[in-house]
Parts: sequence; structure tokens; C-alpha cells
Amino acid sequence: MIRLDADRCVHFCDGLTRRDFLHAGTIGVLGLTLSDLFRLKAYGAVEEDNDVNVIMLFLVGAPSQLDTWDMKPDAPAEVRGPYKPIPTNVPGIQISEVFPRMAKHADKYALLRSVYYSGVAVHDAGHQVMQTGRLFQAGFEYPHVGSVLGFLKGPKGDVPAHVLLPRPIGNTGGNMPHGQTAGFLGKPHDPFVLNADPSDPSFKVPDLLPPDYISALRADRRRSLRPVVDGAVKGFEASPQARLLDSSFHEAYNLISSVRAREAFELGKETDKVKDRYGRNRFGMSCLLARRLIEAGVRFVTVNMFETVFNEITWDIHGSAPFSPISCYGDLLGPMFDNAYSSLLEDLHDRGMLENTLVLAMGEFGRTPKVNPAGGRDHWPQCWTIVWAGGGVKGGQVVGASDEIGAYPKDRPASASSVAATVLRAIGVNLEADLPGPQNRPLRVVDHGVEPIKELF
Amino acid sequence: MLCAAAGASGADTTPPAPTSLAPLPAHVSFRNHVIPVMTKMGCNSGACHGAAAGKNGFKLTLRGYDPETDYVTLTRQAAGRRTNPLEPARSLILLKPTRTIPHMGGRRFEVGSPEYRVIAAWIAAGMPPPTEADARIRSVEVTPARRVLAEGDELQLAVKARFSDGTVEDVTRWARYTSGDETVAEVGDTGLVKMQGYGETAINVSYLSQVAPARVAVPFPLSVPAEVYAQAERRNFIDDLVLAKLQQLHFAPAGLCTDAEFVRRAFLDAAGILPRPEDVDRFGADTSAAKRERLVDALLERPEFVDYWAYKWSDVLLVSSRKLSRKSAQAFYDWIREGVAANKPWDAFARELTTAAGRSDEQGAVNYFLIHRSPIDLAESYTQAFLGLTLTCARCHNHPLEKWTQRDYYGFANLFARVAHKSEGGSFVVYSTPAGDLNLGQGSSSPRIGKPLPPRPLDGKPLPLGAAQDRREYVARWLTAADNTLFARAVVNRVWGNFLGRGLVNPVDDLRSTNPASNDELFAAVARDFVAHGYDVKRLIRTIMTSATYQRSSQTSALNIDDDRYYSHYLIRRLPAEVILDAFSQVTGVPEKFEGYPLGTRALQLPDTRVKSYFLTAFGRPERLVTSAAERQQDPTLAQALHVINGDTLNRKLMAEGGTIDRLAAAAAGDAAVVRALYLSALSREPTPAEDAALLKALAGPEGAPAAPSNRRLAVEDVAWALLTSKEFLFNH
Repeated sequence: MIRLDADRCVHFCDGLTRRDFLHAGTIGVLGLTLSDLFRLKAYGAVEEDNDVNVIMLFLVGAPSQLDTWDMKPDAPAEVRGPYKPIPTNVPGIQISEVFPRMAKHADKYALLRSVYYSGVAVHDAGHQVMQTGRLFQAGFEYPHVGSVLGFLKGPKGDVPAHVLLPRPIGNTGGNMPHGQTAGFLGKPHDPFVLNADPSDPSFKVPDLLPPDYISALRADRRRSLRPVVDGAVKGFEASPQARLLDSSFHEAYNLISSVRAREAFELGKETDKVKDRYGRNRFGMSCLLARRLIEAGVRFVTVNMFETVFNEITWDIHGSAPFSPISCYGDLLGPMFDNAYSSLLEDLHDRGMLENTLVLAMGEFGRTPKVNPAGGRDHWPQCWTIVWAGGGVKGGQVVGASDEIGAYPKDRPASASSVAATVLRAIGVNLEADLPGPQNRPLRVVDHGVEPIKELF
Repeated sequence: MLCAAAGASGADTTPPAPTSLAPLPAHVSFRNHVIPVMTKMGCNSGACHGAAAGKNGFKLTLRGYDPETDYVTLTRQAAGRRTNPLEPARSLILLKPTRTIPHMGGRRFEVGSPEYRVIAAWIAAGMPPPTEADARIRSVEVTPARRVLAEGDELQLAVKARFSDGTVEDVTRWARYTSGDETVAEVGDTGLVKMQGYGETAINVSYLSQVAPARVAVPFPLSVPAEVYAQAERRNFIDDLVLAKLQQLHFAPAGLCTDAEFVRRAFLDAAGILPRPEDVDRFGADTSAAKRERLVDALLERPEFVDYWAYKWSDVLLVSSRKLSRKSAQAFYDWIREGVAANKPWDAFARELTTAAGRSDEQGAVNYFLIHRSPIDLAESYTQAFLGLTLTCARCHNHPLEKWTQRDYYGFANLFARVAHKSEGGSFVVYSTPAGDLNLGQGSSSPRIGKPLPPRPLDGKPLPLGAAQDRREYVARWLTAADNTLFARAVVNRVWGNFLGRGLVNPVDDLRSTNPASNDELFAAVARDFVAHGYDVKRLIRTIMTSATYQRSSQTSALNIDDDRYYSHYLIRRLPAEVILDAFSQVTGVPEKFEGYPLGTRALQLPDTRVKSYFLTAFGRPERLVTSAAERQQDPTLAQALHVINGDTLNRKLMAEGGTIDRLAAAAAGDAAVVRALYLSALSREPTPAEDAALLKALAGPEGAPAAPSNRRLAVEDVAWALLTSKEFLFNH
């Protein structure tokens, strides 16, 4: 097998700077997806007949469990915060008043109220563990679960397997990787990143369409001439960067020639009424786009609600600048999430897609049970709530429970690793299978002993 | 419970494994024994009680960076239940980690283990507190420091700690071990190394604040006859040291590249431009033996050489209009550029920058102090730029893998506490104030230090707090002193990385002691040569470019294909964003227009990275926000491919009127001449017969008849596009 490694160094918060082994197992010069298909059969790592897709809504900044989906109305004022619970369409389940539309759909989702991880309370670390199932260590960047899926199953047809909207997570203070790449599986398995704002009226995918002045005939001629020139210099095959260039051209041509991909990205095909329901903001339009992409055959869509936690209103309610005040849940973020999420569930349900589309909404950790002196809440990875819908999840239930102030799991603690394992299990990945790790040393999909949360299904 | 060291091949002096009943130190010191035990057991790690919020109400300082605070926490808090001097065994810090009573963090050690006995002995001795008089760690020594082994071998390391009072202790059991490359070697908690694969790596060993590497290697399973090394081309000392390393690891050196390859490679690496066809022809026609040396000399005198290196140092010094006015950014850039043009010795360059004073629009170098306005910013960015050290960790706690402590950090930062600036007539004036210190009071992440620390260079002598001496002068002298080896190494490594595709230390700006060079002897020799010749950057470049090592072919063989860091062959790499864009402009004869700059300004001549360009952003131009080589992205991406296929940048240059494509398409010289001209200007070589045939067919009309002029124009465009998007064009090789 060929080793693919990139010269990059990753800084970890424990201060160890280690070589980053971005090796990929068997990246052919072209036709990556084909070899991947062979590989997945060889590994027996995935159920062939499972066609569950995923929309992962990453609520960057980390929503407070106590002001959203794990209300504690009987706790002291400094714990319960400014918002009141409201009933939902499922007796016994209450959520925050900031999500009135979501309250009408509680039968479709399950609340997991006992998520935790053991690690530093830094955004970047939470991003890593929630999206890859592991805190990065020993020199490895672990793959995002969507990239694991893409690696094992390859794309469906000519649309990418894993798409990330609208942009990757940027600076959130820790200067560490955010777990949104394919890590050691290799860059060809990174998600396709939109890098544009779908709520922009002139939104289009950068460079997806050929310009008017290049006819299809000429585009074909160019494509066929390139390999003529490219074959001359030997020695390129030893270079991981050169192979990466080949695979990026290959992917680009797949994408460009895909009618399905082009149409999936065309938000203009949606009516104004639909757009208004989702909310004409970056998150709302990203959720709408996510639905279109799943319809077009994308297996996994990750939506970042924000790209940073600085100087922008986000879930990161420390209460003082450059972060956000707690009041933003009521007047901005609550409605923004409520409209996009509810519309997404409604659409998927109405189209009969909810059964095989897992929609997971989660932040990187929870927030301190006690309101701080600035009137906000700080980071709290010890216990928080995430929301599961579709993809076989049994709605209308609460799994796990926190203690009386939402500080620690009281019942059915669910580690961040088990969350990732649950997603992988839902999409048919055999958790005991091995991935080709650095230098092709096998590495289990999830660590030994990590179990999916079966109660959700 | 410990594995005995297996008989490692050639391991004649393998030290014995530490026994589980290692003798306890005669006097158990809180600072020097208890803290390392807790660190080793993970008690004060970021995931456990070392977390900013502690764990379950018990908070230690991260990896014990503040023993005084930990002492109070352990002896006074929680109603004194954590330590019980009357009945040590009833102390929570023994009951919990042995899981005698429930512990969320599981069992960390056994009752009666050496860890247990160290802590128990300290408690039984009446819990002596850390004092100023405690011996301090001076260094750690690992044996063996270096060893060549075989795959599957095991090696037990032994670690000794030396203290300021002259005592030496065996701390093998309590040192912490990490492998620099786990695919080569893994290391366990006890210091037992297991060789996993081929190559060389460092095992980093840390104890208290000190670190030291042990180097272990497994030669590749290749057999290269000794004559290969004996007969390999050698031009200067670089080649001797490279070949020695290759021989040690069993890699064969590649032969020298062709003239055509060399001319293209040298132009791109030294000056960021493609050679013109006439340059290629002239070089090819030159029959003198010293033609490559002469080409290098000529390149070093070109204005594009100055553009290229001014750009590079501007990356390092973060020149941009983000925090500066455009005028000031230009002044800063001009100062850097003049330094490169005059080949100002690197020590003089650094000294002038460090002590710069005056108006921001006149004294360009002062802008460094307007980009970095706080001593904290300066301390971190300056050490990264000039020493390749990342101090950031030590802002909040002792550096976990380096020897730098929080006191080192704040002592260093205080050297910049007297840099001041004021607004004056539309620009700023930077000057030194005679008094003032870095305030470590409110808002500081280090409240325990509380009062200002004497300004002190890293590993240097402190200045008294009250000294009137200009602190920046003091920094400059220390930085450029002959015994500050990192100063020369940092720039040598950046220059080396530019030409060889990978720094001797990788990444190029990460020179911490736990990240050793791929060839220590070579790194030391090149740095020594650089210092011995007066920090002459041009001379350094010439030495590198004229070595056989730089001139090796990029073509790999079975005997070196796995080598990615020992320089057996030239490492091909994608060209930098700016170089690709300029090369597109050069080959098509259509310059890029940058807003606010005259037409004809090349990307590598821009003094500011905030100039908008989708192309440059997509291809990884650094933003110059933080001093870090990682800011520049060199990896090919899908967005780049989409942009050269469908985007405006290249396509508009190809279709522009009056450009080279226009001219070639209109010329009467015929298709073969068109193909040849494109190859020479884009790839610096003639087309191969196969390429010629395929491309001529594309240029010919249907049935081989001459194409109509408009169609021919488009066909030339498409052929040019294929050349300009090929790997051979986008990569230096």
C-alpha cells in the first residue's frame, strides 16, 4: 500500500506538538471511489443495505442545557436562568420557551440529557470529541464520522459523500484541530466544503459551473489534453501532494459534470415561502440546502451554525464581550434554530425521508449550572443535552437524565464517544471493524468498550 | 510488573529496567518528588484535577507548575482530609487513587507501590512544604541517547535527574515518555521503547520542567552497496553529512537532475519566477563546468530574488495593513526589502528590528512594534520568528514538553515592557521609556506571580528591575550573541526548507528541543558555517544551491522511495500561491491586476496580504495573523481544481487579447512552433515526441486540415490550459 502523508504539524492543547500522520491507505492515482468500494467490502465494515443518511447540525459555541432542552424550573434562580419551560406535544416532555415550533414536534425527536466528556473544557476539544468520538492524541487526527462513512461507502453516484456547510469552524480559541476533516484517512476523504454563504442573494458554489465562454466541447478537449502533458515527469507518483492534486481534479470533474449536484445546490428552486419557513439566515438556508443535498444523494451533511465564538452572537453565552449574553437565546438564536430545525423535520417527515435521515443537533459541551457574575454561563463538559431525530430514532422520549441542577448525569451517562458510536451504528458501520490507521496499522472505528446508545432506537 | 528489556540488537549497554521497588529518596521533597509522582500518574493533567475547573472540587495546577498552590490545596483545603499526617494511609490522596474508596478517575496506583510510598513518606514526614531553598532541577539525562536497532527490538531507557545541589537521582520510573513518531517507535510508561517500523524518531523524556530526547532508529530493509555512497557526487560539506545519514538508514542517493530541471528549479526556489525560454536555451548551450554555480550567482543578483525573499520575511514578520495603515505597511515592507537587497547580515537585520525607534512612516522597522503592541504578543511572536520557539503554553502554565516555565515566560515578556508608541501627525512614533514593567496583577492569567519579574532573556542573565539600561538593546545583544545557537538555526532552517522542500527540523519554525532535526550533524554544520561567515544569507543560499544534495533528481527509486526527510532525492512540492499566479501571468503575458497597485505588479511584489485575490486565498496565501509557517497552505484542494477549471483567473488570461496566446495563435510559424514555445515558457523543456504528436493533433482542424483562425485560437488556448494545470507546471520538481 502507498503511504500518503502531509507535512503538517498539529498542536495539541496538552502542549505536545506531534507529527501529523495524514496517511491514507490505498489512494490510487485516479478512481479513488472505486478502490474505496473494494476496500469496504474487504473490511466488512459496513452494512450494504443500510441507507441511513445524516444531517449533523453543529451548534458551535455550545448551547446551555438549562436554557434549552433540560429545564430545571424548580432549581434556585441562579441555576434555572431567565427562561421558562413549555409543554410539548408529548405529555411529560418540556423544553424551553425559546423553541415554540420545536415543541410541536417532540414526537419526532429524542432528547439525550446525560452527555459528557472527560477532557478540557475548550471549544476545540469538544468539537473533536463530538465529531470524531475521540480527543486527539498520540499524533493522530481522527476522522469526522461523516468522513468515516464516506471512506467506507464512497459517494452515491456523482455527488460527494460528505458535505460541510457553509464553512469550516475557524478560530474558537484553542488553536487545535476541530475534527471536521478525514484526519488519518487522508485528505481525499475530507468533506466537500461549500465556502459560500447560502443566504447571500447571489449565492452560488464557487466555480462549480463552467463559464459561458468555454463550450462543453472545449471543456472536454481540455480535460483530455491534461493527461497528455501530465504523464511526462516520473517521480510524481511518490509524492503525496501530487496524488492529492490528481484526486482533487478527479473530484472536481465529477462534481462539475453532475447534474444532480448542480441542481442540489440551486436554492433558487425553492419557493420564497419555504425559505421564509427555514429563516433567511446562514443557518436556515444551510439547513434547507442540507435537505436538498440529502435528496440528491449526499450521505452526510455537517452544518456549522457558526464559525467562531468571538465578536458574533453565538451559543457561547459567557455574558461579556467578545462573547454573547444569555438574552440572545430568547431574541435571536432560539428563533433561528427553532425555525430551521422545525422546518427541516417537517420537510423530511412530509417527504418520507425522516425514517432514513438521522438529524442530530448538538453543541460541543454544556454550560455551567450556575449563572456567572456577568449573567452568563461558562463551559461545562460534565453534562448536557443533545437532540436526535429520524434515522430509526424513537421520538417522543427522553434518554438519560441530569441531576437536579443539570450539573452531572444522574441516569444513563452517555460519553461523547458513545454519541459518535451511535451515529456510526445508525448508518450501518460495524463498530468492531478496523480502519487503516497511520502506516496501515489497523485502528478500530471506535475504541474498545465504547457502545452505542441503544435506548434511542 | 515491568517487562524486562528484551535483548535489543547491538544493545551492549542496555541499562536495567527500573525495579518496582526502586529505593525511595532519602528525603522526600514535595517539589521534587511528590509533584512528579502526581504528574506521572496523571492526577494534575488537563483531563483530571489539572483542568481549569478542577474535578469534583479538587483542583491542582496543570502538571504541577505551581507547587506552592498545590501544597495549600493538598494540606489545607477540604478540611485537611486530603492529607492526614497522623494516619497517612487515611489521606484522601492515598485512598482515592488506590481506589480504596470510590474514585471517578479509577485506580491510578496500588497500595504499597513506589508511588504510594513516596506520597506516604512525605505525609509521614510531616508534609514539609516547598521552600525557596529546595534544590532545583538542572537537567535530565537519558541513556542511551541514541541507538540504531532492528524492527521489533525493545530498549529500556534510563533517566537521571541532576539538581542544583549536585544530587543525581534515577527518575526512570517517574519521567514521562512520548514518541515523536509512533509508527517508528512506541514507548511505554516505564520507558520501554518498542521499535515498530523503519525510520528514526526521538523519544521525548520529561521530568519536572526539564526535557531531553533519546534518538532511536531502524534502518530500512534495503541493501545499498557501499560504492554507491563512495561514488556519489559531492560538492561541499552538506553532501558528506547527507550521504552519511543516508548510509546509516540504507537509502540510496538519486543522481543529479538534468540542466533543464536545474534551471527551472533554481529560478523557482531562489526567485519565485520561471526561467524564460532564452534563459533555458542559454543555460543549455553553456558548456563550462561551473555553469550551475554561475547560474546561482546570477540568480542571486536578480531583482526578483529580492522580491521573493522580502516576501518571505514579510510572512515571518506579519507585514499587513490589518493593524497598520497602508503607508506604514509599505514602510515596513520597504525596510525589509532594502535589507534583502543589501544582503544585510541576519544578525544586523534582527538587531535593527529589535531596537527600532522613530516614526512609523519613516523608520519602517518600528512597525513591528505596532503590529505587536503588548509585551505578551511580542514575546510570543518574536521568539517564534527568530528562534523557532513556541512559548505560548507557558503563558498559563509551565510548558508541558519544554523546559520553559511560566516565570521564564513573564521574565522574557518584561523585556518588552518599555516599548511605547504615541500618535503624531498622522503616524505613530515608537520609542523606549526609561521605566515601567509588565504588570502581572489584574487580568493576568498568572496571579500567583503577582509582582513584576526581572526582565530575563531565555536562558540568559536577568537585568535588575530598576536598571536604566535599554531593555531592547539587551534583548538584541542576547539574541544575536554567538552562543545563542537557536538564532542562526532558526533562519538556516527556514532557508533550508525553502530549497529542500522540508526543514531539517519540521515544521520549519518548531525548533523545540523535543523536535530534533532529521540530521543533527548536518543542521549543526550548516548553522556553524552560517555564523562563521557573518550571518550572510546570500552565502547560505549559495552553499545550499551549489551542493549536490540540492541538485539531486526528484526521480525516486526502490532504494529511496520511502525517504521523505533525509534528502536522498529532491522533494517535489506544489508551488506557493503567489508563484503560480505570477507564472500564469508570465506565460500568458497577461499581468494580474491587484486593486490599489499599478498593473504589472506581481503577486510576489505585494507588500500586503490583505490585497484581495480569490486565487491567492484558495491556493493558501497566509493571512499573516500569527507567526507560524503553518499559516501557508501548500496542499492541493478541490476548490483549487475547480478554480483553475472554471474560475476566472487562468481562463481570462488565456483568452485575453494581446497576450502570448493571441500572438502564438496568429503567428505563421506553424503548430509545432506553438507547442514548442509553450513548453519552453511553461515547463522549460522541449515536448516529447508523444506529447508533440497528441498536441499537434489537437491543434489541427478536422481531418488534419488547417483550422479556421478563430478555432485555432481556441485550440491554442486549450493546449496552453493543459500545460498550465499539469502537475509538472504546478509543482517544482
